[in-house]
Amino acid sequence: MLLNRASSGERWRVRPDGPGKVTGGLAYLTDMTTDHMLYGLVLRSEHPHAHILSINTDKAKKLPGVHAILTYLDIPGLNAYGIAHPDQPVLCEDRARYVGDALATVAADTLAAAQQALELIEVDYEVLEVVDDPECALLPSSPQLHPGGNELHRTVFSRGDVDQGFRDCAYIVEETYYTPRQMHTYMETEGGLFVPGEDGRLTVYSPTQHGFMDRMQLSRILKKPQEEIRIVSSPIGGSFGGKDELNVQPYGALLAMQTGRPIKIHNSRWESVRAGLKRHPMKITMKTGVDAAGKLMAHQVSLISDTGPYSTLGAEVLNFATEHVIGPYQYVHLDVKGVSVFTNNGMSGEFRGFGGNQAIFALEGQMDRLAEMAGMEPWFFRKLNMRQSDNLGPFDQPIAMTEGAEQVWEAIAKCPLWLEKEHLTRMSSSGDEPWIKTGIGAAFTMHGAGLGVGIPDPAGGRLELAADGKIEAVFGYEEFGQGLLASLEQMLIEQFGFGAKDIRMIIGDTDVVPDSGSTTASRATAMMWKSLQKLKAPFSGQLLQRAAAVLNRPVEQLQLGEGGIKGTRENSLLLSYKELADAAGEPIRCETSFSFPTSSTERVGAHYMYTYSAVVVKAEVNTLSGRARVLQQYHVVAAGPVINPQGYLGQIEGGSSMALGFTLLEDSVMEKGHYIARNLDTYLVPTIEDQRGLVEVEAIEQLPEGDDYGPRGIGEVGSVTLAPAIAAAIRQACGKWATKLPVEPSFLQEAPFFLGKG
Amino acid sequence: MGMNIQETIASPLVWHPQTAAEAWQLKQTYDIEAVYTSGGTLLRTQWESGISAMPQHLIDLSAIRGLNELRVGEAGLVVGGQTSLQSCRSNALLSRHFPMVTEAIRTIAAPSVRQLATIGGNVASSIGDSIAALLGYDAEVIWFDGTREHRALLSEWLHEASAAKRGNERLLLSVLLPFEESLGETPVSNGAEDLTSQMKRFGAYHKVGRREAFTPSVVTACINGVLTCSNVIKQIRIALGGGQTVPVRLEGLEKEISGADVDGQLLRHVYDRTIELFEPREDLFASAAYRKSTAANLIVSELWKAAKDNTKQL
Repeated sequence: MLLNRASSGERWRVRPDGPGKVTGGLAYLTDMTTDHMLYGLVLRSEHPHAHILSINTDKAKKLPGVHAILTYLDIPGLNAYGIAHPDQPVLCEDRARYVGDALATVAADTLAAAQQALELIEVDYEVLEVVDDPECALLPSSPQLHPGGNELHRTVFSRGDVDQGFRDCAYIVEETYYTPRQMHTYMETEGGLFVPGEDGRLTVYSPTQHGFMDRMQLSRILKKPQEEIRIVSSPIGGSFGGKDELNVQPYGALLAMQTGRPIKIHNSRWESVRAGLKRHPMKITMKTGVDAAGKLMAHQVSLISDTGPYSTLGAEVLNFATEHVIGPYQYVHLDVKGVSVFTNNGMSGEFRGFGGNQAIFALEGQMDRLAEMAGMEPWFFRKLNMRQSDNLGPFDQPIAMTEGAEQVWEAIAKCPLWLEKEHLTRMSSSGDEPWIKTGIGAAFTMHGAGLGVGIPDPAGGRLELAADGKIEAVFGYEEFGQGLLASLEQMLIEQFGFGAKDIRMIIGDTDVVPDSGSTTASRATAMMWKSLQKLKAPFSGQLLQRAAAVLNRPVEQLQLGEGGIKGTRENSLLLSYKELADAAGEPIRCETSFSFPTSSTERVGAHYMYTYSAVVVKAEVNTLSGRARVLQQYHVVAAGPVINPQGYLGQIEGGSSMALGFTLLEDSVMEKGHYIARNLDTYLVPTIEDQRGLVEVEAIEQLPEGDDYGPRGIGEVGSVTLAPAIAAAIRQACGKWATKLPVEPSFLQEAPFFLGKG
Repeated sequence: MGMNIQETIASPLVWHPQTAAEAWQLKQTYDIEAVYTSGGTLLRTQWESGISAMPQHLIDLSAIRGLNELRVGEAGLVVGGQTSLQSCRSNALLSRHFPMVTEAIRTIAAPSVRQLATIGGNVASSIGDSIAALLGYDAEVIWFDGTREHRALLSEWLHEASAAKRGNERLLLSVLLPFEESLGETPVSNGAEDLTSQMKRFGAYHKVGRREAFTPSVVTACINGVLTCSNVIKQIRIALGGGQTVPVRLEGLEKEISGADVDGQLLRHVYDRTIELFEPREDLFASAAYRKSTAANLIVSELWKAAKDNTKQL
């Protein structure tokens, strides 16, 4: 089904959080202020790599209006954070490893005083050699950034004997692909309000993708029991993975506890660029061969990932990329090696797609090159080598089997945009502007959801009839613009029969919500769906039984409806939810808790549930300027039932617009460990003008009979396949294979044909 | 929005002179402590990035009478320096007679910026994206030296302004766009020699940026000329700029090709000479070599297009 407003009918709903966001009426957490608050700022390292010989705060402390200046000496607990492996100092003691490293933090009456105080802090550095190239970082002669060396993580996966495999190949493609250091570029930069309570508790109003993880990490840093910390974390003005890790929270929390006053911190865009996470730049070398019939015989991959100075989820991103460079194809012989390397560049970390974007750009590039070399139609070539529905996953692990790969392949094969490709090859470059050349390309992926084997991945939620008669849906997930609330509301309406006005949704507050796990890895909607499936019978049952008692009617004659309890025969309201809540009895409340389904394998990071998707792209290259433009996109996504059509479409369109930036525009260029583009006037993300063309999304909802996993993730997959599809379109347009993203205009530029050679 | 540190530091004094003379006097008084400003859109980015410090005095030129309108003068269309880019963009006279200027302004920044930014500020910056188009029409500027108004060719004024190390001592008042001689109004010779009906004007302005909209330019290119039916160049102006490059006319090349036939050899010459003569400033986002070849491609393809319409032989 093509997803759009018309095809969605009444399922196309206005988002509950829409009006507030569109009108600007909604206050984000970083808009909050309070009486007597102080402003917090952070002093960051001047150098990407240096010994810190001394930090002198004497002069700064004397400045009027300054209430606290903290250094590493003032941290009561663990001076480190990191979701997977806490190795990033909250405040550096003796060494700075990147330009975002924090050395001191200041609280003052005004921002100006805080700024002045930062300037008065005297730091003695001994500048060290900058390690800015991951390959050089692996040499024994390189300065070592951590006690364990410069290797964060290595991955290996192999099967058969690739050397033998390559000997049996008729065609072999060997290529190296480079992907950029993309920035999340959320509209709301990192920040928050940190309020100490009279009872000794601390309330943190600051965006994050996993409130309980922040609470645990802050508890370690502050040496304060987790129960004494409350994290309020939604609404969020965009995250895309970028606010998954702690950012300003340790500073706000430390300053609030030290001064006993509320602290407001809000990064400027400059500071956000400097300190924040980016997508891992990767260099991926692939050697892939097929036999004379076009069957994949051998696939050899070497990945090197620039993880920057500290871990965060760098190892997990590499695991993901390692799995996805194998992808949905079958090989006789396989040899994949990956390494994630510490450098003094910016912090790399979690970002929508999570290593899949880099992997699929390379893998699909290989497929297109091999097809061309073997003289085969590229989509047919993929079909020839694609997994069968009952095959194991990329790591030979059991997975939830669906027909997704086949279904997506078929849908692309017959979509009008793909059929147009053949027609384009017959067009000669003519017309008034023959330097504008057009091509069509497509790419495929299977994208894992959930955190994978070996990582705690809790899920769950709670339904409750509140005293005021509202149906409360309580989940530990976050709304960062993706439409989580809209999806939750829609499920409650469609699955239970409630009206929108009957529902109160509560998320993002660790004092109230159960730990539903993180809002990452394309998992939240699927886990809410699963929770509601588990809660439906017990919660509905309790409501109806209470109603039956109040109304003195058999429970079989009652049903849930908009506004309250209705009869199964008559559609009139028999009892409002408020009346039901007023009736005496135990509170009606159901909670569920379970884990994201995982594969029965030992392989850490291996996935169990996958979304299959592909895109066809039409692009044009103006060879005078070398600039490429995307003209049209047709996405096919097989991810089970569509929970919220508008949200689904938004996720695919939004993901694809990020991918367009990744492919054609975005790179946080660094020079010797310093960012060159430090604001949005030089770091350019796509505007609406860059993505004008038609975007169509076909959703394949069918799942195998008996599959009760429900909807698969769609949060990331829209951002994965566009890059290789654009690269294939560029190839058809002007004959060039792009191997480095973003595609450089100078690479595609040509002198006009009428000048002849010379 | 992140808290902007600069906004919390002492703001400059803002002066609102009513006349050019008052403005001039303020600049003399505060000298390097003062900066002329109109919309302030470019200055703001410079303060924020640390390229220049926020001055102690801002001399706001927007209140000076008579500078925020377009009017037809004796010598052409006079565009007051304080006219916002948005007003310029939507002005019918400008788009009828100088469509390439309208096109250039259309591609500058974004609507909110164009509401504030002025044509005077765009020109006075020496690197504004309207300049290449203005040069393509042989625009002049009217400026004030403290006692009287002067008129100068924009190309010469730019040369002076960009050479001045410390600020621009010349206060830009207006931009003057001379009306182009209509081909229909030139004296007509008789019979087969009737050139006017057989000559055509051609021109184009292109901005190549790093994305499709709201982007700094990498290259701006303008070509404006007259071609006979047999593809002889009767008149030609070529102007190039982009990024931090002060836009220039390629007058040497213009002279070389005036009166020449547009053929394969000439196109090659134009391409090669553009690359030779144009000296763009590079940055980490685009090399000088790329800027040169882009400029050459844009110019030569427009010439090819104009000539191709006359004959199908090229």
